Amino acid sequence: MFEKRDEQLIEQALKGNKKAWFALIKRYETGIYQYGIRMTGSTHDAADLMQDIFIAVFKSLSNFRGDGSFKAWLYRIAHFRCIEFYRRKRPDTNLDEDQELSCERPGPEHTLITDITSQSLTHAMQRLPLTQRAVIELKFFGQFTFDEIAEQLGISSNTVKSRLYSALSKLKLDLEVEHG
Amino acid sequence: MVNQSPEYLLAQWLDNALSNEERRAFEALCVSDADFAATVQNATQLNVAAEQFSAPPMPAWNKNASFIAPDKPRWWQWQGLPAVSMAMSVVAMVMVISGFSVQVADGRVTLGFGSAAPEGLSETQVAALVNQRISDYQQSNQAMFTQYVNALKQQQQENSTQLAQYLLTSSRQERREDFAELVQFINQQRDDDQRYYARQLTHLQREINAIDDGYSAVTE
Repeated sequence: MFEKRDEQLIEQALKGNKKAWFALIKRYETGIYQYGIRMTGSTHDAADLMQDIFIAVFKSLSNFRGDGSFKAWLYRIAHFRCIEFYRRKRPDTNLDEDQELSCERPGPEHTLITDITSQSLTHAMQRLPLTQRAVIELKFFGQFTFDEIAEQLGISSNTVKSRLYSALSKLKLDLEVEHG
Repeated sequence: MVNQSPEYLLAQWLDNALSNEERRAFEALCVSDADFAATVQNATQLNVAAEQFSAPPMPAWNKNASFIAPDKPRWWQWQGLPAVSMAMSVVAMVMVISGFSVQVADGRVTLGFGSAAPEGLSETQVAALVNQRISDYQQSNQAMFTQYVNALKQQQQENSTQLAQYLLTSSRQERREDFAELVQFINQQRDDDQRYYARQLTHLQREINAIDDGYSAVTE
């Protein structure tokens, strides 16, 4: 059976077809949920962020012009919603590039991630600044190119590479610690 | 000139886009720079971890909250309504022009337009019936007009008689009054004449008397 393209589902959803919208959600909800887990470190926050992202995506759906992939557009909105999520949650925290967000102790929901490597990775990513975490997320989990990441984050491709290098250098220690 | 910055080489390696020279520089940097080598190793681990990442099952979340149904247009705002109206009008016109007629005898379904005759009467019978009705109508109208004319004529005669009688009566009275006035005028004229003659006679008598007096004086 042939799957409908994202653009077809979007067109139908804009006409009020709920099934088309749910099909689009089903296609991307797992990725967005895992994105939320890795970006927030909490399954509850990830669920809230996921709902927030899809509400924002539906409201902006008519603005999607189709000049890029829907996935890239979706993750761009996800990134903005994630920043907004942190601003709401920690209004006093500066989300600038060099500012690191302190890692919260893993809550009970952290144990929901049964795989030890995934748990360690999620925990390690929380030690990174939000901007570096976003680059790691988009490069290794979103499988985007450097140019696509640069466009999504509104920065240059060289800045993306620099942030990735810094993130990997720091994450290295964390992974070692986690494995140790 | 090969760009030997660690960030660039790592990015090229991750994209699997190293040229031969860049690959040599990359490998040299891995050997000479322990931090870089560890970063590369970490990237490799992260790649594996990303592939094996297992998240908890998707929670049941309210997908309906993310869907805002657009306002549905009301039935009278349906775009096909003008076209349907036009089509119905055309159908109605065709039915009228073509003398549309459907008759089902026992089921009593009778639809008709135009000159369809009533059930049980032929066209000739209908024409005869119509002629009979028109003839009756003409006769009743004629009788009514005759009666009306006679009434008018009689009323006219009565009016003429009354007028003539009135004229006669009024002219007699007027003549009588005129004669009376004439007689009165003549009588008055005669009175005036008599007074005039009396005065003339009196005056003449006075003159005669005066003459008599003068004569008497002279004679004396």
